[in-house]
Amino acid sequence: MPHFGTTARQIRERLRESDRRFSLRQVARRVGVEPAYLSKIERGVVAPPSEATTVRLARELDQDPDVFLAMAGKVSSDLQEIIRRRPKLFAELIRQLREAPDEAIFRVVRVVRDGDW
Amino acid sequence: MITLEHDHLTFRFPDVHPDARCDIDFQRTLRIPDDDRTYYLPPGLGSFPLRHIDDFADRLPRKMVRRGGVVMPIHQAEALWINFDAAYPVAVKIATGKICAIIGQQWEEGLSQDPQNYVVLPKQPWLDGYCVEEGVIRQFVAMPLGDGYTAEEQLTGEAVHGGLQIAAYPMKRKVYEKLFPPARKPGMVFDVAYDAAPPAMEMGLAPGGRMRQEIYDDPHGLDVWDEANGSRCFVTMANSAQWMAMTGERPPTVPPTARQYAEAGLPWFDYYDADHEAIAGAEELAGLKSVKAMGQKLGKSPLPESESSGVPVVVLKPKATTHTSHAGKGEGP
Repeated sequence: MPHFGTTARQIRERLRESDRRFSLRQVARRVGVEPAYLSKIERGVVAPPSEATTVRLARELDQDPDVFLAMAGKVSSDLQEIIRRRPKLFAELIRQLREAPDEAIFRVVRVVRDGDW
Repeated sequence: MITLEHDHLTFRFPDVHPDARCDIDFQRTLRIPDDDRTYYLPPGLGSFPLRHIDDFADRLPRKMVRRGGVVMPIHQAEALWINFDAAYPVAVKIATGKICAIIGQQWEEGLSQDPQNYVVLPKQPWLDGYCVEEGVIRQFVAMPLGDGYTAEEQLTGEAVHGGLQIAAYPMKRKVYEKLFPPARKPGMVFDVAYDAAPPAMEMGLAPGGRMRQEIYDDPHGLDVWDEANGSRCFVTMANSAQWMAMTGERPPTVPPTARQYAEAGLPWFDYYDADHEAIAGAEELAGLKSVKAMGQKLGKSPLPESESSGVPVVVLKPKATTHTSHAGKGEGP
């Protein structure tokens, strides 16, 4: 799994090449943290931030929040709640799919049903 | 296949190409004033919640469940815009009440090119309304189905479908691989005992104020789209009361008015892509009455106050790597 801070920094700096709104200072302001704190996160000096801050940072950088949370060593609280409600069923499902290729997982993902219209 | 991910509809076409996908979500926004002026793009205020309609099948009319798809909440007179995100080329048809928002004709399966009844992703970043003139749309505004305001009712005289309908067709794999070689690749249904919906439960979309927005011409031609591998979705629109009864959740709050937004000094947006030609507007759509004009004809005042004033405009430009949107990620003027 890539390092959270390094990945966030690489993505932000790539975006900044074409848009100055992605400077450390401006991104920190939009995410709601101090620039010095975001700098420390990006350099791995401090642990990844809270779930809410991680999700805000992911959205700001146009990244998938679940992927960012995984890099930060976290699982979103809504997923934890889903598992807690039916722990045996979902634990078994996840173990069963652990090694399955993406195409096989997509086959069990719930699709939006098309009907008669 | 279509999945629901973080309130986005994600269309994937694994039988065509592993990269063939696009994301579509519906953005909350300000309703622009419904007058004779032509406005810039309003901001995005976040995605509307989306849920599988099957999750509420035991408390919805059979007709609504039969259509499948998803359901979203929307307040009366609230506006929305449709946000597209794709790297792989996809042709997308959009209809409201089964009236095509691009050419104003009744829904038919498949694509047509003369006139073009679809938008082409990724070049078309969003759609805010009905294409009434070249470079001008009338904003999508939600109104109760059955009150006579929606495009569907104005053009067919009937209030049958409401909501939004979407169909997406990926580019054929061979064409994609030729145009974009790898090195240059861009970045449960329950039966219910009743069938009639209570009056004014469902919402449809009606034409609101005028806005600058170009619908881009298809630069590829009809033959490149894989119509055998399309996917489609019906988006039912529920009013606030219906949404709460269905889901137990509160709908998003009513957005600020255009005047409140302007008084806060926040910007509107313009989008400029010199590399693509815009298609002409549809006569059928140009002839529609706006919500305000229809209200005057019916002797009603369906819209709350919506005056605006001078505001800064942020110009957005196409980018290869950044997802630009009138949600606010743009370049300054």
